[in-house]
Amino acid sequence: MALVHKLLNGTYILRKCPKPSVASCPFLSTRFADYCSSSLEKPVAAPGKASSQRKTEGNLEGHHQREVDLDITSPEDKPEVSFDKAIKEEIKDHFRRLKDDIVNHWIGPEGRPLHEVLMEQAKVVWQFRGKEDLDKWIVTSDKTIGGRSEVFLKMGRSNQSALLYGTLSSEAPQDGESGRSGYCAMISKIPTGPFERKRFYDWSQFNTLYLRVRGDGRPWMVNIREDTDIIQRKDQMYSYFMFTRGGPYWQEVKIPFSKFFFSNRGRIRDAQYQLLLDKISSIGFTLADKVDGPFFLEIDFIGVFTDPAHTEEFAYENSPELNPRLFK
Amino acid sequence: MRLLRLREVKAFFQGHAASHQLGWNWIPRLSLSPKGLKILAASLSCCGCPTGKGMSWAQAILLARGLSRGWGGICSTALTGAPFSQVTPQAPRGLHCSTAAHNPDSPLVPRPPEPQRGLVKALAPHEELFRQAPDGVRDKASFVQAVQNFTQYNVHKRGHVDFIYLALRKMREYGVERDLAIYNLLLDIFPKEVFRPRNIFHSIFLHYPRQQECGIAVLEQMENHGVMPNKETEFLLTQIFGRKSYPMLKFVRMKLWFTRFKNINPFPVPRDLPQDPVDLARLALRHMEPDLSARVTVYQMPLSKDSTDATDPTEPHIVGIQSPDQQAALAHHDPARPIFVEGPFSLWLRDKCVYYHILRADLLPPEEREVEEIPEEWNLYYPMQLDLAYGRSSWDDYEFNIDEVEEGPVFAICMAGAHDQATLAKWIQGLQETNPTLARIPVVFRLSASSGELLASSSGLEETPLTPPEGREEEENNQQRQQQSQS
Repeated sequence: MALVHKLLNGTYILRKCPKPSVASCPFLSTRFADYCSSSLEKPVAAPGKASSQRKTEGNLEGHHQREVDLDITSPEDKPEVSFDKAIKEEIKDHFRRLKDDIVNHWIGPEGRPLHEVLMEQAKVVWQFRGKEDLDKWIVTSDKTIGGRSEVFLKMGRSNQSALLYGTLSSEAPQDGESGRSGYCAMISKIPTGPFERKRFYDWSQFNTLYLRVRGDGRPWMVNIREDTDIIQRKDQMYSYFMFTRGGPYWQEVKIPFSKFFFSNRGRIRDAQYQLLLDKISSIGFTLADKVDGPFFLEIDFIGVFTDPAHTEEFAYENSPELNPRLFK
Repeated sequence: MRLLRLREVKAFFQGHAASHQLGWNWIPRLSLSPKGLKILAASLSCCGCPTGKGMSWAQAILLARGLSRGWGGICSTALTGAPFSQVTPQAPRGLHCSTAAHNPDSPLVPRPPEPQRGLVKALAPHEELFRQAPDGVRDKASFVQAVQNFTQYNVHKRGHVDFIYLALRKMREYGVERDLAIYNLLLDIFPKEVFRPRNIFHSIFLHYPRQQECGIAVLEQMENHGVMPNKETEFLLTQIFGRKSYPMLKFVRMKLWFTRFKNINPFPVPRDLPQDPVDLARLALRHMEPDLSARVTVYQMPLSKDSTDATDPTEPHIVGIQSPDQQAALAHHDPARPIFVEGPFSLWLRDKCVYYHILRADLLPPEEREVEEIPEEWNLYYPMQLDLAYGRSSWDDYEFNIDEVEEGPVFAICMAGAHDQATLAKWIQGLQETNPTLARIPVVFRLSASSGELLASSSGLEETPLTPPEGREEEENNQQRQQQSQS
């Protein structure tokens, strides 16, 4: 229950609930980074944001064996412990969003007129122009399984880009279970509608992902997850590699959606399927290139567009040797 | 027959608990074979205690002794704090007693641990084979020698699984982790034709599971280091495990996915990076600069005196790159505005991190920006600028509805051996030869500790105290100009 969740956490202490969550894939354990505290400028609307973060975190896999307490109040913020006010504001906010949603449905998809949506060829999905844009992302690293990598996200140069930086350490945690370690990830939060209903992105008209980044030469992996309620599908994702060039120039990375390969629970599967774009839930960037050291990635914006020259539907054939059942 | 120490028995019980958390890969790693667990559980219940952990350590040691007498050894996990995957059975010391790692028998009453011992790592069974190089040189030849010693030592290849795991761990020390011949040699250690399934029952149940896991571990290490297996590997795997086994399946997958992803890097970096710092800098600068007409200039070669060692030369190398467009932009730059030397920023080439500095100017405020107009006579064949107002709506609009990040232009990039101002000043001097206007422009050094982020241009928070005020810089530039006019 979302509201009960918020009631229990009226102050700004985030608690990672040991949810008996489905199939926890270690690559997607979530943990809040320091930037969360910066969003608490408006103390009234903030409990909603903080708790909405937690609710969406519960939707993603949580590491069910650890309970991490993060006290992120910055020294100048005095937490205003006022449940009634917070709850009232929260309820008003949700009803307002519900009203907007209903009204927007009459105007067109997502509140824009239909002809505009149909003819759109390029769309900016995530941009980084302010602190509130950072709130849409979660940053994780292998600290959740006991490793030593650190990763942070902050606004970059003159508030016009986001900087993801940290240190990667491939020292395996001594927990008797993992042989390898060393990954950092930045995952977008699942978009929510009024009353924290799960929503999805519909990118069916577009065929290429566009990223404007400035990296340091390290290879990253871009993961896209589909929106699904089926438990077995929660570990499935589609990935591809993003190679950064390094250097002081901005780099445009265009990845067609036909190049994304399918993986389940962190392993590439033999039977490959095309990424279907009508229900996308989140996108993520992972760095796990087995090289210890500091890294950074500056992102300007992330968008999708239609590349008229790209006609490929899916890049990977299924091989009869690995999948005899598909070829009967 | 050797008694197990108290720690080992404790570790054994802890390992038993840990064995339930299994990772989901083709290598389910158990600390103890199911048979051992069952026997232990049965004997514990026979002892009459409600839970295994409830009994005294003395009884536990007796039991463990009995079990170890039963068969080969008990896998003791976490004895040395090593990761889970390594199974190191403490085999009973029989005829093939080695001189290493002879632990005295532990008494029945547990002794308190000796604090001055420190971490005593029990050696893996065949580790002494890897120590036999007389001069301690660890290279491919000694590795091959160690492997061959094992095969001669032991015609029946007892303990080959553990030896292969050990060899996989040792490969990095010997520097052979990317050598396909070595991996084929390791696969050659397996006895052939024994592990192939011969009837349907063999193929239904995982035939020789530990050996198959070991084969998969060899292939997995190959995958981690990006080594592509070849026909010899395929033949070996077919000979050892058969065509329908899991190592063979993994091999087929590797063949498929490696070939698919071999050339997807649009900015490939060679696997063997040059050792010479100047060559490395050249490679890195070419890697960063998208303009192919840019020129790399070496302003200073590394020069080290004989007394000092090569890692700390007195004159570090300085290599810079600049393209003709950047030169033109620098020539047009207004001398009243300063330009900045920023850095060092990090660049990763495979597993090597190098640092570079850039020479850039701040953005001009909008009122001072001038739009360069191309005169109409410049090109008579077609107009360079078209202002046609077609009624095109959004179906033809491929631009993103966002303002691009505005940053000042970059004029040059350099890589130097040292990150201090003196070296960079030499770079600026060298740049002045091709950009005479640089002499008149004040240069401000904004050097920071390499945190890997690009500095904020608006807030000069990271300026080091070395940054002199602009007046002094102009003096320095005046001096440089005088030197240049004199030389």
